[in-house]
Formats: sequence, C-alpha cells, structure tokens
Amino acid sequence: MSDTDPQQLRSLLAAVARRDAAAFRALYDATSPKLFGFALRILNRKELAEDVLQESFVSVWNNAGSYQAGLAAPMTWMTTIVRNRAYDLLRRMDATVEIDADTFDKDVMEALESSDPSPIDVLSMDAEARALAHCFSRLEGLHRQAIALAFYHDLSHSEVAQQMKLPLGTVKTWVRRGLERLRTCLTRLEGA
Amino acid sequence: MNIERNPELLDRLAAEYVLGTLRNGARRRFDTLLARHAAMRRVVEQWQDRLCPLAQFAPAEAPRPQVWDNIARATGIAPQPSGWMSRLRESLSFWRGLGLTSSALAMVLAAVLLTQQAGVQAPPSFVAMLADDKSQPVAVVTGDARRHQLTVKLVAPQTVAADRSLELWAVPKQGNPRSLGLLAADGSITLPLPENATPDTVALLAVTVEPKGGSPKADGPTGPIVFKGAWLRI
Repeated sequence: MSDTDPQQLRSLLAAVARRDAAAFRALYDATSPKLFGFALRILNRKELAEDVLQESFVSVWNNAGSYQAGLAAPMTWMTTIVRNRAYDLLRRMDATVEIDADTFDKDVMEALESSDPSPIDVLSMDAEARALAHCFSRLEGLHRQAIALAFYHDLSHSEVAQQMKLPLGTVKTWVRRGLERLRTCLTRLEGA
Repeated sequence: MNIERNPELLDRLAAEYVLGTLRNGARRRFDTLLARHAAMRRVVEQWQDRLCPLAQFAPAEAPRPQVWDNIARATGIAPQPSGWMSRLRESLSFWRGLGLTSSALAMVLAAVLLTQQAGVQAPPSFVAMLADDKSQPVAVVTGDARRHQLTVKLVAPQTVAADRSLELWAVPKQGNPRSLGLLAADGSITLPLPENATPDTVALLAVTVEPKGGSPKADGPTGPIVFKGAWLRI
C-alpha cells in the first residue's frame, strides 16, 4: 500500500548508484512528496524547501553508491540528508522560523490522539512509520510534543523548554523517558 | 565515565544525538567517539531508523515540476530531445519569437551595465542574458572586444553534480558550436574572447551540462542545452 516500501527503494537506490536515470526518477516520484512535506515543515517556506529538496536529490544521485543497504533504511538515509540540509540552511540564514503548531498531518494527529489504535493502520505511510506512530501514540501528549519540536525544529532542550513554557529539567526528563519508551515499544513490535 | 562500556548511557546519548538535543561539546565528543567505534555507529543508525519516520508525520506535498527539472539538469540527466542542430534551430526560433521582450531585456541590461561600470572600465561591447527554458535569467555574459575578455556572471547559482561541468558555447550562424570554456556553478568567471566570436558571426551563446572537464567531443557539446541567450552588440 505504501510507495516507500524499503525493499523497492533499496533496489531503486542500487540502480541509481549505477547511474540509472529512470530509477532516479522513480525514486524521486516515490519519495519526493514525503521529503518535500518534511522540508516544508522545517523551513516553513516553499522556495527554501524546494532548494533543499533539490540539493538533497543531487546529493542522493552523487552518493547513492555509498549507501549501504545493510545499514539504515533507505528512507532513513534520505530523510537524514534532507534534515541536515534543511538545518544547514536555517543556520546559514540565521533565521528564526515561525514554529507552527500543526507540524503533523491532521490525519496523523487524529490517529495519534485516538484511543482506538485502528486509524494508524490506514495512514498512508510505510510500516516503519506506522510502527512509530503506534508507539508515539502511547506517549503522553506533552512528551510527544517535546520530541517532535526537537526533531522538526532543531531545538535544544532549553529551546524546547522555552517554546513549551516549561522548566528545563522537566523537558529533559520527558524527552529521555519518551525516547526510552519509544525504544521499548518499537523493540516489542519488531519482535512480534 | 566510559560510554563504550556503558550500553545504557550510550543508548541514551545516541538517541539524543539523533534527535538533535545532544549539543555543543557533548555532541563533538560523541562525534569523535563515533568516528572510532563502529559499534557506536550501529547504535546511532538504529536510532535513526527509529526516529526518522517522524518525518512522514508531516503532510505530504508534491513539489512543483521545475524542482525535478533542476535536479535533472544538475545531475546531467535532462532528456536530449533531438540532435544539436535541431535544438539550435529551436533555440533561434525561440529567441525570434521572444522578439520584443528579449530586446527590451537586453536594453535594460545594457543600460544597467553601462551605468554600473561607467568610469571604472570600458563598457563591454557585447552582451547576452542566458535564460533557462522557463525564460528565467541565469547568467549575464559580457564581452569586451578590446581586452578580448568574456565575463560570465551567474545571477542564479546552479547546483551541478560532482561529476559534471557547465560549458559555455558560441553557436555560430554556420558550422559547429565552439567551446568558450567552463563555468563555475556560482559567482563570476572571466574567459578569453576569441576573435571569431563576435555577434557578426555568432548568433547565440549556450550552456550545456557536460562530463567533468568539458565535452569529450572536439566538434561540439554532448549534453543538453540548459541556458541560452542571443549574443548582441551594444
């Protein structure tokens, strides 16, 4: 159901490493809406997000050969490229981006908030993201928010604390516990 | 404390490293350790796989089609519609069709250049504004006949794949295009202006994406035209 099936993306990346332009286009078609949506949420400006997406895909073309299929998932690898480039751009511009309350897609938000876990199963994302959504929904809302703020907006503990108007110690504890719980939950799902 | 021997601490730091909340000195120390220990890198990769799907929680949105065009151009995989000569003919009719707009643009450009450079150096004798297929200006080329110099200033920085170069061509009214040299992806560059590259014989300047170091063929480009512009006397 997902167009970002890791197995398929792996073979596309392997073909891109062999300079296969058609595979590169297929990889772009399969992943660009998600990666662009992500860049857009980080940067909040279309033209900046487009620049980052463009640079990221040029980097994917140049570095596909160094992607090791045994290690991180293809989507992880590409997301990390986009995230690093978007952060670099933010730092270069030294700009403060308006942090928008609805970072997450509405359907994702509702699925996370719902007491019934079934909405997560119908979200249009790959199995890894659905597993994460499932575990994320088990966290308390504020813990979720603290982790999401840090991940999407390159915020430090103290910046998250400032943003959420909470004491620094509280935020540190929440982030740490939230991450621990995510790991436990995801490990259990993998084992299942 | 020795992180390598403390799996719980390592796991916590790796998670915060990936999340981004591990900062400053602590992050740099962690980076140093990562470079040395493959086992630590594995823990980080596991956390990347765990947390990166957060990116998919953002609403997906299709980028505009020109983003792909730019990527294709930068990586040198833009489709080549047909042979060089027919592309050249397309280019010429494109510029004729543009008529008034391009001459008006060229005049504005010339006026700007003349004003800017007055008193500093002799005004350029020739000018071209190179635009992409969406007519967006990408580079300004000025030619100084007295100094036998071409100056190419990129007004829109380009992304070029590591194994590609941008090459500038003089497209004569008759015969094969001649290379004028390679361009930088950004900034200005000065190239020699050959005697036979004046607008009297050369109608058009064009830039193609070529393998690194320039076209391997002696008689012309191998890659697609990405920007072009009429070469005008001012």
